[in-house]
Amino acid sequence: MADFTQTLMTAAAIGSLYALIALGYTMVYGILKFINFAHSDIVVLGAWSSYTVADQVLPRLGYDSRTIPPLWIGAVILPLIMLFCGFVGYVIERLAYRPLRRAPRLNVLITAIGVSLFLQNLGQLDFMFGASPEKMPALLPSWELASFSFGTGEATRKVVISLVDTMIFATSGTLMLVLEYLVFRTKLGTAMRAVSYNTDTAALMGIPVDRVISFTFVLGSSLAAAAGFLYVMKYPGINQPAHTVWVLLGLKAFVAAVIGGIGNVRGAVLGGFVIAFVEQFGAFYISSNYRDVYVFALLIGILLVKPTGLLGSPLREKV
Amino acid sequence: MSVSHPMPAASPIAATPFRPTGPLMGVLPLAIGIVVAVLLHVILPGFVGPYYSRIVIDIGIAIILAVSLNIVNGMTGQFSIGHAGFMTVGGYTAGLITYYGSYFIWGTLGKHGVFLGTGEWLFAASCIVGGLVAAGAGYIVGLPSLRLRGDYLAIVTLGFGEILRVVLQQTGKVLDDGAAIRAAGWSQWLPPPVGGAIGFDGIPKYTNLFWVYTFVTITVVVAYRLKHSSLGRAMISVREDEIAAQAMGVNIARQKVLAFVMAAFFAGVAGGLFAHERGVIISPKDAGFQRSFDYVIMTVLGGRGSISGVTLAAIILTALPELLRDFEQYRLIVFALLLIVMMIVRPQGLFGIHEIWHFWRRRSR
Amino acid sequence: MSATALLHVQDIGIAFGGLKAVQHFSLRLPAGGLYGLIGPNGAGKTTVFNLLTGVYNPDSGSMRLAATDLMGRKPHEITASGIARTFQNIRLFPNLTVLDNVRLAGQLRSRVGLFGTLARTAEYQHQEDDLTRKALDLLSIFEMQDRADELADSLSYGHQRRLEILRALATDPRVLLLDEPAAGLNPQEKLALAKSIRAIRDRFQVAVLLIEHDMGLVMDICERITVLDHGVTICEGPPKHVQNDPKVIAAYLGGGG
Ligand SMILES: Nc1ncnc2c1ncn2[C@@H]1O[C@H](COP(=O)(O)OP(=O)(O)OP(=O)(O)O)[C@@H](O)[C@H]1O
Ligand SMILES: [Mg+2]
Repeated sequence: MADFTQTLMTAAAIGSLYALIALGYTMVYGILKFINFAHSDIVVLGAWSSYTVADQVLPRLGYDSRTIPPLWIGAVILPLIMLFCGFVGYVIERLAYRPLRRAPRLNVLITAIGVSLFLQNLGQLDFMFGASPEKMPALLPSWELASFSFGTGEATRKVVISLVDTMIFATSGTLMLVLEYLVFRTKLGTAMRAVSYNTDTAALMGIPVDRVISFTFVLGSSLAAAAGFLYVMKYPGINQPAHTVWVLLGLKAFVAAVIGGIGNVRGAVLGGFVIAFVEQFGAFYISSNYRDVYVFALLIGILLVKPTGLLGSPLREKV
Repeated sequence: MSVSHPMPAASPIAATPFRPTGPLMGVLPLAIGIVVAVLLHVILPGFVGPYYSRIVIDIGIAIILAVSLNIVNGMTGQFSIGHAGFMTVGGYTAGLITYYGSYFIWGTLGKHGVFLGTGEWLFAASCIVGGLVAAGAGYIVGLPSLRLRGDYLAIVTLGFGEILRVVLQQTGKVLDDGAAIRAAGWSQWLPPPVGGAIGFDGIPKYTNLFWVYTFVTITVVVAYRLKHSSLGRAMISVREDEIAAQAMGVNIARQKVLAFVMAAFFAGVAGGLFAHERGVIISPKDAGFQRSFDYVIMTVLGGRGSISGVTLAAIILTALPELLRDFEQYRLIVFALLLIVMMIVRPQGLFGIHEIWHFWRRRSR
Repeated sequence: MSATALLHVQDIGIAFGGLKAVQHFSLRLPAGGLYGLIGPNGAGKTTVFNLLTGVYNPDSGSMRLAATDLMGRKPHEITASGIARTFQNIRLFPNLTVLDNVRLAGQLRSRVGLFGTLARTAEYQHQEDDLTRKALDLLSIFEMQDRADELADSLSYGHQRRLEILRALATDPRVLLLDEPAAGLNPQEKLALAKSIRAIRDRFQVAVLLIEHDMGLVMDICERITVLDHGVTICEGPPKHVQNDPKVIAAYLGGGG
């Protein structure tokens, strides 16, 4: 029971990270119909710029990287990183994807791979983040907010609710609510949904399609940045930008988007949690060596049974 | 257009490239290729030394991988980014056969026999078996392509490579002497002891210029004949327009799976050659996406469907980094930029779907 | 009459979400018949073709080609059983040559497998030569032999439309479905096309179902006409009958779109 609860809590924290990343994939796919391979590299950028700020900037402001700075520091860094990565997302869309608006989807996909490779390898250069792993200075104290005990005597097992997990869950939850509001309650969100439904018609109706697309990239990238920031809070050992871990992280988030129903914002969130639960419980109860395998098995299973994903609606190509 | 000529001067039959007729022509290109392979093997190392010979071997292996990937990505218009996965399946299978096979056949580990001796034939056979096993994997991975749109397929193939990497990491350590092999119980053979995360060390290093370029010849001839045949036409029609292809009676599912299986087969063969190459220890990370992307880049730059274009890209993209070793860290940055710029400026690749000599011919007309 | 019908369609229909694109569509097309299918924009004509060729599966009803049940069949199986079509929004294989577009369609009953292809066997050679000859023969119908080596993409619009028809013919169909073959052609070209359609019907012994917006052309060459409006068949009969049906006139005049 204790193990179950603990796994559940880890899964909830990780699931909310997957969900944050999946949102970016799903929004871009919904509108431009391609897998933005470079999205995971924005997560990397978010993670590594968080590290750079914590390691380079904070000490200069008098916060030694060996001591834990006040809580509000994190609350300031996060939006800055989001803003920065949102801008980078904007630039990428503008330079690499926009020229291909009328090109076949495969070309855009190839470009996305190109952008991803570019960012990964640029990030590994010495004057950028370098090609070796680093340790993220702690921004949060390792508090235990609460702990429960299960069982008695020798068999007592403790379940801990840590500050980090709670922060991850709360922050991503808030961001997702903001996004939900943006997409379903604002004019801009309506425009996004219209462009996603039918780009040409939306353009005819006077919706500034290019601007909506730019905005979508900014939004998706800033969520990815937040995920990167939160990720290094939980796992302070940051791998170098071109490490497989990042690609797998992005891949799983994309799988989450597909499982939830690609193009569907709520589906992406659902998918993120589903993936995390499958992964964490599989890792705990079967074998942690194969945690990546469970996720892909689930993907293939779902695609074969319900190709449109859990919340996706069927699409028929018009002939 | 002149009325006096019922048939125009440039008859389409004359323009159809390379039409070998008769049983001799059927094998002639292969024969020529094998002769070239022998010559390369005998002459080249003396001229350029072992370092450059090895680069030429690397180039050959890259050609096999890029040309075969091109059957799926270029001709059939699917998008596989897990080609290195198939290569690795073939490499491990072939290595398993020559490494442990040598022990069971000759009672010793390590290389056996001389040039074209029994050891090398075991090696050649192992490459083909590696290809067949990879083809089986290609069949399994290709099946979802029947139901998935192109870009989902990309994810499935990418996932395949990554899963393979993870699974290979869990294998046991290589049994490195006769006593250990004899002592090994059933449980040690499943999964096979191929070295886990460190890689499969100790595979006898049989790969040489002759075998590589013999397989290069086979791959290129097969790809070329496929492209200029009814089967290839059917594959290309799938790339051009699936709905129209079906309406013309093409079983698109069959074409996609066939393309996958063939591409995987040659990738597997290339894996066999790679695993037995001097200086190489095949390891789980070879199945990962980085290596797959290399071959994707070659097919994209060379031209989707152009066998000669892709071959040229494989040569250049393999040789260049070797010659510019000092700039290794910039290699992928440059390749990536090439990819991005290419998609904007010349999305069909250097040669599009045409072969290089078509351009030459057009110019000289 | 139904006993002699080659293509026998009864009550097929399909809905896209809430939109009933086609309802209770029925058709008896005899061998060698030349029938028309008309209706205002969005009436569901193309959707009928998509149902007949297996692009979409009908939600209900039945369809047969002679003795072959077509329900639930894959598009390529339906083509193999003898129904070929053209596309309203031209769907040639742009990067294949004109010749290869036709040869591709001609090869669907190919007997040569992978091995024969790769070994370049005599049987394979023979089949390819045969395909080429037949394809050139077909191209001669519209005098397009000398364009055989051009990419389909580089053809003029009118030639692309014609190539669509030839490509469909190359599958050796018993029923030919033509989706607005005259769209975008000038009056003379339309006249020539009407002639060709009749000639094709006679020469290849093929039944034709023609979607066309040009009333003159349809009334001129079709033996019977079905009129669709909002997915519903509102009239069926010989041109004279259809022309004078008030419901048809209302559908076309009454902003029926
Ligand atoms: N795949 C699809 N998904 C949703 N709606 C569709 C689909 N295909 C067709 N429709 C709708 O079904 C209706 C009939 O379309 P169809 O293309 O059959 O009309 P049509 O009679 O061929 O018109 P036109 O003369 O303009 O070609 C239209 O309202 C169209 O939007
Ligand atoms: Mg239509």
